[in-house]
Amino acid sequence: MATLLVHIALLAYAAAAAAYLVWLVRPRQALVSAGRTLLFAGLLLHLGSFAAAVSLSQGEGLARAGFGSDAWRGGQLFSLLAAATVAGYLALDLRYRLPVAGAFVAPVTVAVMVPAHLVHGGTRPIAPELTHSLALAVHVFSAAAGTAALALAFALSLLYLVSERQLKSKQPGRLFARLPSLELIERVGWHLSVWGFVFLSVAIATGSLVSHESSGSAFPIAPKQGFAVLAWALLAGLIQARLVAGWRGRRVALLVVAGFLLLVGTYAGLLAAPQHVSAAAAALIAPGRG
Amino acid sequence: MPVLLCVGLSHKQVPIAVREQLAVSAEDLPGRLARLRGLAGVREAMLLSTCNRLEVFAVADARTCADDLLRDLGPLAAEHALTRYEDEALLHLFRVTASLDSMVVGEAQIQGQVKEAHARALEAGACGAALSRALAAALSAAKRVRTETAIARGAVSISSVAVQMAHKVLGDLSGRAVLLIGAGEMAQLAARELHAGGASELLVANRSAAVAEALAQEVGGIAVGIAELPALLERADVVLCSTAAHQPIVTRELVGRAIKARRYRALFLIDLALPRNVEPAANQLENVYVYDLDDLEGVAAQNRELRQQEVQRAEAIVLEEITAYARAKQERAAVRVLAHLRAQAQALADAEVERTLSLLGPLNERQQKSVRSMATAIVNKLLHGPTARLRGEQGGPLSDAAAELFGLQDAPDVSGDDAERRSSPEEQPQDASRKPQADVLSLTGRK
Repeated sequence: MATLLVHIALLAYAAAAAAYLVWLVRPRQALVSAGRTLLFAGLLLHLGSFAAAVSLSQGEGLARAGFGSDAWRGGQLFSLLAAATVAGYLALDLRYRLPVAGAFVAPVTVAVMVPAHLVHGGTRPIAPELTHSLALAVHVFSAAAGTAALALAFALSLLYLVSERQLKSKQPGRLFARLPSLELIERVGWHLSVWGFVFLSVAIATGSLVSHESSGSAFPIAPKQGFAVLAWALLAGLIQARLVAGWRGRRVALLVVAGFLLLVGTYAGLLAAPQHVSAAAAALIAPGRG
Repeated sequence: MPVLLCVGLSHKQVPIAVREQLAVSAEDLPGRLARLRGLAGVREAMLLSTCNRLEVFAVADARTCADDLLRDLGPLAAEHALTRYEDEALLHLFRVTASLDSMVVGEAQIQGQVKEAHARALEAGACGAALSRALAAALSAAKRVRTETAIARGAVSISSVAVQMAHKVLGDLSGRAVLLIGAGEMAQLAARELHAGGASELLVANRSAAVAEALAQEVGGIAVGIAELPALLERADVVLCSTAAHQPIVTRELVGRAIKARRYRALFLIDLALPRNVEPAANQLENVYVYDLDDLEGVAAQNRELRQQEVQRAEAIVLEEITAYARAKQERAAVRVLAHLRAQAQALADAEVERTLSLLGPLNERQQKSVRSMATAIVNKLLHGPTARLRGEQGGPLSDAAAELFGLQDAPDVSGDDAERRSSPEEQPQDASRKPQADVLSLTGRK
């Protein structure tokens, strides 16, 4: 049931991506409305698949992480991140009307979801100490929310860089008319970066707790932790520079891009960890390791 | 059959020197429309007079009425005017309304002008259902062209490009300050547009305090001293320069200091002066955007080119809409013929029934009802085949043939399209004013 729902959601996301991409070439309002509706329908189905996973799954699934789950799959993690990003985009679109960001978010969602759901990955055990850990649940939620916020900030930063380049070069391209103002991109990107930083801070703090619960070490040395701390430090520096020195525009957009790429490194570190390990070592690669 | 005619001229035939002599003022319009309506054979007329065209669209009894319309425009216009008939006139109406015939292709003003001309024609009692329907279809096509193509996107004049770019950099201009340096006309125009676009503060700086004061009064701004320029650059978000200075008055160094003091809030500098007032190197500074005349003209030219690329798609939409309009017109004709045919057959059957009943002698109510039902059933069965074919054909040669075969041409109109068939003011019914009103609603309802 959960698999069927998520596959239909994926189809809706793919149709939304097609609508947004066609809109870039043929700017018809109906395409934006269709894309928005399809994304919303896909999100509802996607959330439905999580609900079905919680109610039907007996002991496996990221949706139950911290609430009794004893295993998860890499695909489930990407599915959660995709749903959080789509939800974040729809909230933004409701407030600011940013279809051009939809033309980025929808295809990326499909690109993330396809390998997550069509390619079967191995099951990863969750350490027995963490199956009922509240810290793990908060860690997973805040990591997903923070990643979604930073993914959207990343998308807007790329838009900013493209738009700014066109304005500076005085050569507006065909898509120029579809781009929102620099001020709007910058303002929304900044808010998302701050929210991303806040959630990332919570994710790192709770991750440290989870790590302590499972392995006894609050700050283990591993690629995942290293990238997460670097991303956090870079975002902290960015916020400091903005508030104290008034940094804006291009240099802030570049820092957000770098911060998000470091965060991607965190997930790469998580997935690159060995899959079949002993129960004691499993605790070290569980998502709650922070 | 009534025909659609278009007689007139536009920027394509005559220069402005001629057009300005022919323009019809708002005061003269009712008189001109009454005169057109009074021409023999002219059923409906609308006069479109803008700075780029003077054209009469009319529904008339025959093509020859175009000669009278041409004469009515006067000798100067008649010398240059073009006459278009039926399909060509309809296509021209659609193209004009969709701004495909405009001097600046894609400009939005023409649709308002067409609506206004239609409203004036309705007020004068010169416009009826046929022309109103054609106009409604033309406006609907124009709306599709605007929403489905990029023909109206992108500013094409220097001042509007400047305003468009300011919006692109700064977004909503409310709460923003605009600084106008110098007294150039184009800069004043752009400043006014920015102010109208929501900019809350318009500062006017000039070497002469008196000129600054006068200009500030004229554009609704506040006069400030040019000596305060460093502070003004910190305060303003858009700076418009158009002084006659021979050296740049806004230097890279000055802007560099200002942008730091502004904590890197974006600054948009529009340089409309020759020689330039803003040092071009200022554009290299972060969050500073400098556009001079060449840059603005470059963007305008690019927008014009983009509009031209959309013309082909817009023309295809216009043709689609004309086809749909023609089909709807044929459907209305078919319905009218069908209604006449059925009414005529039923009347004949009823008359025969009454004659038969009187010959048969006293029949009870049930028997009389049976005879009447039989007559109605015969009419229905006889007409079923022709009705289906006429409906299937949706007008065209078959409905014309049916009308001729059954002698329906002179039958009274029962479809509500009688305004199309009226040929003189005397034939207008008492409630004639209500009919155009209904068409006004249908016209605006499709917007």
